[in-house]
Amino acid sequence: MSDLNSLTDAEIMLKVAGYDSKALEQLYDRYAPILYTLIKKIVTDKETSEEILSDVFVIVWRQIDHFDFKTNNVYTWLVTLARNKAIDAVNRRSEKILPEYNDDYEKEYMLPKLSPEIETFQLSDVMNKKEKVEKALKSLTDAQKYVLELSYYGGMDQSEIAGKLNIPAGTVKSKLQVAFGKLMQKVSEA
Amino acid sequence: MDKKKSVDLIKLEVLGSINDKDRETLQTLKNEGEDFPWKELGEYQNLIAILPLSLELKHPATELKDKTAKKLYSIRDQIKAKVDAKKVAEMPVEIVESASETLQEIEFQEEVTDNLVTEQIEIEEKEFAEVEEGFNVDAEIALGKKERARSSNRYKEKSESESFFKQPEESEVREPVKQAIDKEAIEKITRDYIKSHVERELISLRDSVNKNKILNFILFAIAVILIVASFFLK
Repeated sequence: MSDLNSLTDAEIMLKVAGYDSKALEQLYDRYAPILYTLIKKIVTDKETSEEILSDVFVIVWRQIDHFDFKTNNVYTWLVTLARNKAIDAVNRRSEKILPEYNDDYEKEYMLPKLSPEIETFQLSDVMNKKEKVEKALKSLTDAQKYVLELSYYGGMDQSEIAGKLNIPAGTVKSKLQVAFGKLMQKVSEA
Repeated sequence: MDKKKSVDLIKLEVLGSINDKDRETLQTLKNEGEDFPWKELGEYQNLIAILPLSLELKHPATELKDKTAKKLYSIRDQIKAKVDAKKVAEMPVEIVESASETLQEIEFQEEVTDNLVTEQIEIEEKEFAEVEEGFNVDAEIALGKKERARSSNRYKEKSESESFFKQPEESEVREPVKQAIDKEAIEKITRDYIKSHVERELISLRDSVNKNKILNFILFAIAVILIVASFFLK
């Protein structure tokens, strides 16, 4: 395990692709806290959150062939996968009618489709951005922050947010676009 | 192409709040335009992924790792099939065009197969030795805990899941070799058992038969003497 400690996330993923279970354990040790934090925020209850976290690593193991080793963005791939899985679990628990969960569904809706020109992110680099993200979020108005949260952590689409806030869907759409644009600008600032 | 329009739709898609109509438009833009802002898409995907950093970090229960390992262990057959399929896909395939080429290829494939078999046997033997070593370590741990009788089932279940992380691709190729070695071991044990127990019993049986024969002969002799004696007494 000590050898694996010194490897980058991308190198670990490469070993996981060779079905090296120790590499998957290392990936779990690195990512479980951040993924669990995100899942717990979306799902709220502890038991379901743990179940989903566990499922995420099973998906990684089963669908590792679908990870893009050209861009090698392990962090964003895992976080997006965890978010997709958590939102899906919440939707299935509610009255939303969704297709049957099978392998095709998993590939289409759970596995992230990252841009081929995405910058490579790994956990150790990303953790340094914590302060910057917190500052950027503070720069948003309460209303912007709220719609962003309903969208990102609540998994709501425009019409659902519009219904909840009793405002037109067009307003929600523009609020989301402005808030997200502002967030990008603040995070990008040196 | 309107880059601003694309970026606005990218923001909604990345957030997961895009409606069907906008999704369709964005898909068309992705398919059509060579100058689609892929870089911006990547930037927004990274931005959305770093939002959880603002949350207070929470840790899952430590037992979850074991549970996850158990889940992974339960899909080992599925993974084995994938690994096998991968191996088959990686094997060289030659297109046979003439009889002479066919012959050459058969010879070549035989050679490759021989090499593969030899290599596989070596790997299997090595892996089996490792597995055996792992089992011994586990057994020692179990003995150390002095809970053998009470927790044997529990331990077996736990060691299965733990061994998932300890032993990669456990089920891949070891089973047939392990079975063959098991068979040999069973035969040896049986032979030893027969030697040590049955043979000893056969000897003692033979002895008792001999003793019975002698006893029968003595009884017969006594009977004859008694008959003769009674004849003379009369």
